[in-house]
Amino acid sequence: MELILQSIVNGLIQGGFFALFAVGLVLIFGVMSVVNFAHGELVMIGAYTIWLLHAQNGLAFIPAIGVAIIVVTIIGLLMERFLFRPTRDDPLAGLICSIGVLFILQVVATLIGGDGPSKQVPPPFHGTMVVFDSLRIPYQRIFSLVVSIVALSTLWYFLTRTKLGWALRAVALDREAAALQGININRISMIAIGVGGALAGLAGALMAPLTNINPHMGHNVIITAFIVTIVGGVGSLSGAVIAAVLYALFHTFVTVYFGGTLATICGLILMVVVLIVKPTGIMGVRVSE
Amino acid sequence: MLLEVSNIHVHYGHVAALKGISLAVEEGDFVTLIGSNGAGKSTTLRTISGLDHPSAGEITFNGERIEKLSADKIVKMGIAHVPEGRRVFKDLTVSENLLLGAFTRDDKAGIEKDMGKVFKHFPRLLERRNQSARTMSGGEQQMVAIGRALMSKPKLLLLDEPSLGLAPVIVQEIAKILGEINRQGVSIVLVEQNAELALELARHGYVLETGTVALEGEASGLMDNDHVRKAYLGI
Ligand SMILES: Nc1ncnc2c1ncn2[C@@H]1O[C@H](COP(=O)(O)OP(=O)(O)OP(=O)(O)O)[C@@H](O)[C@H]1O
Ligand SMILES: [Mg+2]
Repeated sequence: MELILQSIVNGLIQGGFFALFAVGLVLIFGVMSVVNFAHGELVMIGAYTIWLLHAQNGLAFIPAIGVAIIVVTIIGLLMERFLFRPTRDDPLAGLICSIGVLFILQVVATLIGGDGPSKQVPPPFHGTMVVFDSLRIPYQRIFSLVVSIVALSTLWYFLTRTKLGWALRAVALDREAAALQGININRISMIAIGVGGALAGLAGALMAPLTNINPHMGHNVIITAFIVTIVGGVGSLSGAVIAAVLYALFHTFVTVYFGGTLATICGLILMVVVLIVKPTGIMGVRVSE
Repeated sequence: MLLEVSNIHVHYGHVAALKGISLAVEEGDFVTLIGSNGAGKSTTLRTISGLDHPSAGEITFNGERIEKLSADKIVKMGIAHVPEGRRVFKDLTVSENLLLGAFTRDDKAGIEKDMGKVFKHFPRLLERRNQSARTMSGGEQQMVAIGRALMSKPKLLLLDEPSLGLAPVIVQEIAKILGEINRQGVSIVLVEQNAELALELARHGYVLETGTVALEGEASGLMDNDHVRKAYLGI
């Protein structure tokens, strides 16, 4: 019983991370039609920024999160301007460019941190909230969950309540029709990858004190992001968030009882099953006609 | 002259879609382009609104050259395009679609007022303004598409087959509204397969055949032309 409750809580926190990076991937794919294979590395750079600034150089955790978000957002914007924009008419070229960025960022991380053992960031928030005797949640995890929820709610507000948010969704639905309303596609692409990058940087920063940091940590992230976006329905933001939480719960339980590798294998099988049985995902909406 | 298209050529890969099209629209004019499938009607509109670009030729709007500008800049100059197949934003509500039509504008009061005008033309949209466009019928989606275009406050409205797939009653309703919009001072270029309807509504007509202008003139004159009667009116 204790283990089940604890796993649910951990699953929800994990789900927050999954949603942060999966939503960014969906946003970038929706607006720009490129699959950003480097998305996991954006998360990794976010985590490295925390390690470098906070753990190594003593900058406080919260300002370090801000720097991580800015750094990763800038990398995203540069990718849009110099790689994805010139290759816009050729999705395969965009994909290959993103794989190139993936390797470059891994090398950059290795140059900064060396290729020794994984790095740890001591949790900046100490202590544990005792909900009741058998359920204890470290404040570090509570902080992550709250920040994830705030970030996702802000994004939801932006996309559903502001004119720029509607414009972004309009570009994802029909790029030409959006241009005919006077919407500048380049500007919207910058916003999409900026928001996606910021969320990836935030995810990496929040995960830093809770995970092993190394140049290859992006692999697990991108695998998770693909599973979540396909199960949620490619192009559906709300689908991605729901799938992120469900998959995180699933992953946490399988990890607790059977181990992490098996959990990821099960996730991949789940993804394949969804692709065969319901290719539009659980939410069943397409991003573009 | 509000719009002057001179001798434009457009290619898709190595397919020539337009082989030297010229046409002119005066301020307040109602012009129609008719022609069979693949004649180049849609391409002509797409080139005017900046979705496609000509490999040769010039387009002048209000005295400015626009053939190299991107679509989002051309909207700002006062050309709105209701594309073939309506292409409303299906996941967005009717009001969100309309407000996106006013994307280039900041004058809140003016936008409100024009929204009111659209609802006056299409009362059905007012009832359904919070409904997602996906759930609207074909005719209602066409109204959203026209309303959305009007929200940019255009001087020139381009319409690509607004009657396609709609019941005759709805077609008549839309035709009537296009007439009203024109009388309020908006110039119109209407592309139609339904040549009879188009020639009734418009003052001037162009007949497109395989990427060139085969015939042009007063709409009433075209209606009496033997070739037009045989090929497009089925008389
Ligand atoms: N994206 C495209 N790629 C290649 N060829 C195209 C493309 N769009 C149009 N064409 C070709 O250009 C020519 C003109 O097409 P266009 O769509 O302008 O015709 P249309 O008069 O609008 O026809 P319809 O009445 O069927 O809509 C056709 O031969 C068509 O096959
Ligand atoms: Mg056409």
